[in-house]
Amino acid sequence: MAPKRANARDITPSSAATTQAGPTTAGTVPAATGSSSTKPHKTSTASLATKDGWEQVVGTVWNHYLEDTPQRTKLIDAFMAFLVVVGALQFLYCVLAGNYPFNAFLAGFGSTVGQFVLTASLRMQTTAANKSDFPAVSPERAFADYIVCSLILHFFCVNFIN
Amino acid sequence: MKSFLSFCFLLLVTLVSAISSTGDRLLAVLDDVAEKAGYSKFLGDLESRGFKITYETPKSESLSLFHLGERKYDHVIFFPTKAKGLGPNLTPNLLLQFLNQKGNILLTLSSGTPAATSLVSLLSELDIALPSERTGLVVDHFNHDVVSAADAHDVLLLPVPRPARDDVSDLFAAGAPADTPIAFPRGAGVLLGPGPLLTPIVRAPATAYLYNPKEQAEAVAADELFGAGAQLALVAGAQARNSARLAVVGSAEMLSDKWFDAKVTKVGEKKEVPTYNREFAKRIAGWAFQEIGVLRVNWVEHRLNEAVVGANVSNPEMYRIKNDVTYTISLSQYSWDKWTGFTVPANDDLQLEFSMLSPFHRLHLSPDPAHSTPEATAYTVSFTLPDQHGIFNFKVNYKRPLLTNIEEKNTVSVRHMAHDEWPRSYVISGAWPWIAGIGATVTAWLAFVVVWLFSRPAGERVVLKKTQ
Repeated sequence: MAPKRANARDITPSSAATTQAGPTTAGTVPAATGSSSTKPHKTSTASLATKDGWEQVVGTVWNHYLEDTPQRTKLIDAFMAFLVVVGALQFLYCVLAGNYPFNAFLAGFGSTVGQFVLTASLRMQTTAANKSDFPAVSPERAFADYIVCSLILHFFCVNFIN
Repeated sequence: MKSFLSFCFLLLVTLVSAISSTGDRLLAVLDDVAEKAGYSKFLGDLESRGFKITYETPKSESLSLFHLGERKYDHVIFFPTKAKGLGPNLTPNLLLQFLNQKGNILLTLSSGTPAATSLVSLLSELDIALPSERTGLVVDHFNHDVVSAADAHDVLLLPVPRPARDDVSDLFAAGAPADTPIAFPRGAGVLLGPGPLLTPIVRAPATAYLYNPKEQAEAVAADELFGAGAQLALVAGAQARNSARLAVVGSAEMLSDKWFDAKVTKVGEKKEVPTYNREFAKRIAGWAFQEIGVLRVNWVEHRLNEAVVGANVSNPEMYRIKNDVTYTISLSQYSWDKWTGFTVPANDDLQLEFSMLSPFHRLHLSPDPAHSTPEATAYTVSFTLPDQHGIFNFKVNYKRPLLTNIEEKNTVSVRHMAHDEWPRSYVISGAWPWIAGIGATVTAWLAFVVVWLFSRPAGERVVLKKTQ
């Protein structure tokens, strides 16, 4: 898997054989910015062009992500997005309803933040592109570390919320 | 149990000495022992109240206030003596030492005889000033007795002394018949310093003044006036911090038989009225010799006022912050021959301080009939300890003129909350969203781990085979 990923990365800028996204993006974005800078008064056409451009950018990035990301990395990203949502909700509740049992807020919010950080670490250590940065850590080892650290985090949070 | 024991002890004490709360050995110092005949009623009253009186002259070889470092007498009364000094057995130092060992002194002055230097020095130690001639004569041209001092105006008729303020207990005028004056014949007055230990008991009327009949017979120059009006104390009390008492009576003659029985007439009136002297002499001697105005702390109890295990312990050494606590103190007052419950004067306040360096609380103590007996009144207050841990004192600091000083201090530690004394988070409904947050995180993490384990990438095996 690792060689394949590295290959794709090398190829992307030079040719459009593997993915359509790379060249298209590269071609469109400069054009859009160019038009907005040269014609500042025609805001409607400029913004339309920019909007189309941005939609295209996002669309291609998304497609690229869907096609090119391994299953486990997608799983990690979904989990991290979930943690962001849960953390944001807890923070919002604290802002709106007050922080009365402050330890409960710290434990609840801290559990999502801590879990997010641990999961991000797992993502870094298991992504094939970062293999060279962690020569001593195999994905299995990274996952075992992740389990142990998460359990410690959960133990701490449940204790701290009392 | 504790109050029962103290009650038994109290009963025992009252049986042993039906007299002054501190002892019955009284020393009377006179110029000549034969002089006591003039004060027979005053001294007879003292004896009938149980005092054992020893009469001595200052010159006597056997006179000594101490024996082997202990007091030989509990009280001393000084009548005017003609000698300038009182000899080596009654130096000011010895007299102060006597006060320091909780002995009491009643000291009488007279306009005829200058006070002994030893007594003048003792008084100046206590910030009580006498004229430089060591005596003087107080006269009043508006409040004298027209029967005996129609010309000299030197027998003052004074109203019975009421307390200066209504929050001071009334020891000398309570129960006195209306319109019976105190006769104050040929006496001297003293000036009191500003100290809190000194109390004027009888002040001179506004029109009275003190002069020296020998040197100022014709006129008194304004700048030579020693004192006039209410600044002159005719009878004064000093109570040391150890509650030893010293009373100064400006006129020894007012204690004599002659003035106990005399009939006097005020200026502008025709009616002859008896004097209040006998009762007043009894009360001033009673105050000086610790028979009235004596307070005692019987017991102090503080305890937890919460429905928890261990709340029934008296005087624990440790509390927790924000505990509910009840403090009770039992006070008695000695009244001539027995202990009675002490009632705080109207408008006065008995207070409890809960202090660490400075008071965190200063609280009104109210009577507690449930723990009071006829011999003792309990005062109680319930309060919540401050949100501050440290070493605190329960302190009752009740120092009032004419009453025994009370300074009762009980030290306790106040600890902070233990980690398991806080309410659980699930008890607090505000914490439920955060509990749910942890629950969601943990559940999602478990699901993530399971899905991770079952989502092994398909290509990996192939890659491994290839490398093999």
